[in-house]
Amino acid sequence: MSSAERHGISVDVDHNPYLAEGSGTVDAIVSVTADVAATAAEPDRVEAIIIDCSTSMQAPIEKFEAAKRATAAAIMELVDGTYFTIVDGTEKAASVYPKEGLARASTETKAAAMRAVDGLRPHGGTAMGTWLAHVRGIVGQRKGAITHAILLTDGKDEHETPEELGAEIGLSEGEFTCDCRGVGTDWEVDELRAISTALLGSVDIVADPEDLAEDFASMMKASMGKSIPDLTLRLWTPAGATVEFVKQVAPTVEDLTHRRSDGGNQCGVYPLGSWGNEDRDYHIQVSVEPAAVGREKLAARVSVVAGEEVLGEGLVKAMWTADTALSAQISRRVAHYTGQAELAQAVQEGLSARKEGDVKVATAKLQRAMELAVESGNDGTAKLLRGVVEVDERTGTVQLRRDVAAADEMALDARSTRTARVRKES
Amino acid sequence: MTPEASCPQCDTVVAQTDRFCEGCGASLADAPRVAIPRHQHGTDAPCPDCGNAAAFDEYCTVCGHRRKEPDRDEATLGAMVLITDRGIEHSHNEDAAAAGMLAAKDAEIPDVIAVAVCDGVSSSAEAHRAAVAASTAGVDAMLAAVAVSKKPRAAMLAGLEAATAAAASAGTDSGSAPSCTYTAAIVIPTAGGTAQVTVGNVGDSRSYWLPEPPAPARQLTVDDSLAQELITAGASADSEAVRRGAHTLTRWLGADSDPEPWSESSVQTITVTGPGTVLLCSDGLWNYLPDAADIARLCSGVDPGAAARALTEFALRAGGQDNITVAVIPIGEDR
Repeated sequence: MSSAERHGISVDVDHNPYLAEGSGTVDAIVSVTADVAATAAEPDRVEAIIIDCSTSMQAPIEKFEAAKRATAAAIMELVDGTYFTIVDGTEKAASVYPKEGLARASTETKAAAMRAVDGLRPHGGTAMGTWLAHVRGIVGQRKGAITHAILLTDGKDEHETPEELGAEIGLSEGEFTCDCRGVGTDWEVDELRAISTALLGSVDIVADPEDLAEDFASMMKASMGKSIPDLTLRLWTPAGATVEFVKQVAPTVEDLTHRRSDGGNQCGVYPLGSWGNEDRDYHIQVSVEPAAVGREKLAARVSVVAGEEVLGEGLVKAMWTADTALSAQISRRVAHYTGQAELAQAVQEGLSARKEGDVKVATAKLQRAMELAVESGNDGTAKLLRGVVEVDERTGTVQLRRDVAAADEMALDARSTRTARVRKES
Repeated sequence: MTPEASCPQCDTVVAQTDRFCEGCGASLADAPRVAIPRHQHGTDAPCPDCGNAAAFDEYCTVCGHRRKEPDRDEATLGAMVLITDRGIEHSHNEDAAAAGMLAAKDAEIPDVIAVAVCDGVSSSAEAHRAAVAASTAGVDAMLAAVAVSKKPRAAMLAGLEAATAAAASAGTDSGSAPSCTYTAAIVIPTAGGTAQVTVGNVGDSRSYWLPEPPAPARQLTVDDSLAQELITAGASADSEAVRRGAHTLTRWLGADSDPEPWSESSVQTITVTGPGTVLLCSDGLWNYLPDAADIARLCSGVDPGAAARALTEFALRAGGQDNITVAVIPIGEDR
């Protein structure tokens, strides 16, 4: 049985293949669905949990107690046999359990890990780059495993330069995936987003420490559901073509354009991270040299690859026509996800203008965001937007709220990349 | 029980699975066959658009251009000539034709012929797959059945059944449901320049009998189209409703068709006396030549190849809005 059979990967392309004479821009939504059979061989798994042990975690002390309970909840979710490490993060990083290398999850090691976590005390500063470096050094021992980390912090990265953090993020790319959580409101969304985006994970705020345990348990459960370590997207384009962008657009917007590495034979390769039973959508835009009316070209061949094995493939075709009724159509899904990407950008730009005190730009951007969220049925983002702006129900115009809870604003920022799926035709 | 057959050369009883006759050694399996269009995809020629010499099937691995299909394919089998042409308006040819011959046991009498023409329905994806699959499966099944017994009606029904199954499974790889028309003929020549012609039909491709004048030319098949239903119900052939329904099929082959899409009454056998021509064609031809007498005029007094080309050229000159396929089978000609 080949792994293509074990891992049913399907690739579907949705686009309008018709182009007007002289035009060469092709947009397509590529949906990748993984149907991971229960009989699939269990892959090696490595988990790292990094707990921020800076002194600010004890203000109030309930915050640190909640972090310890959350770590215990995540440990409980570890499937037996999973390799794991618990890391104490301050201005440096240290292994809490095991003291060196990786432990293998069992009833005994899990209990020992929980005891070690219980003994932790806040004692220092914050330098997330050193945390990443520490994890990288340990998980590198098990190549080919599904390697995942959870990073928890409550503050800004203070005891290293942004350049040092950036360098460590770069070195960790492709080594492990990382979900980042900020507890409270004294941390920076952009800082954690830089880590989670590069390491193909998620970022979110947990405003109330009481909610941490549930969040950690569900993150770990989701990670245990992954069973394909590393998929890549291989994109073939014809000679003379330019890949304008490759973006994941569902469940969240993640721009992969600059993650391209050369795959030879006119192919670019993009990392897709680890997969469980799930589906993700990608928006690909390619500019090709226009062909004559009546001709057809392959604008892109999209393959989902594990190692060297192609598990699924979709063709993006382009046909040139003189019939403008055909070429003027825009695929519903392309239009929808173009809107979702614009929505995420409008939210982030609006919030950043608001921070800088530019009321005019902030209002315009957030009004546009509200329109896009409502139009596309992105109720989650619309609801979060209402915490930051007031909408005049009659005119639809928005006004910045005078008093905005920091947690509401950070939640909107952190969750701005979450997209709505295309609504079913009614 | 294995059905038995007789060797077409020497009448020895043979098993249907035998490849050679035990009596005379004649080949039983290798009835000569043709199918067009050939090389729809896949050729070793370099890419005509960028010169890429690496092998590729449909799309060039360098410039991405889809390989241009040849405009026309022509095949000869015995005295019969088949042509399929992309036409002018369509970028792909979704028609297909196939034919095969079974050597008659009497050397004085011409071979038995089975032929099928299919027109892929453009509104279905990858319609050419259904047309190619149905035409070749239909011909194979007709020849196999005729070899067992010379009962042409049973052979025609066997062909319809095989063609239906082939069209239905033609799109299962790609998940599409391609569909097509199907018109077929079995010609069993008899002594003295006469022949028994059996036709069967699903959709709006047609079969004609076109004798040399002054005998009248006639259409042997009845279209399975909305237009034909209206005409049968009494509507004028010139009426607006009939014109609009001209290409709306009421029967077709494909994954979304009935399990037995043919009408039993579409299968008919007539005895014709040559010289003359049995013609099978897709609507790409008869759209421009709705009157059988006009088709007959283009076939009269010329060899089958010239007739097939003249018909195709006529449709192209008239606009070539659809793919054009013709199969010209001479009856009562000297071989």
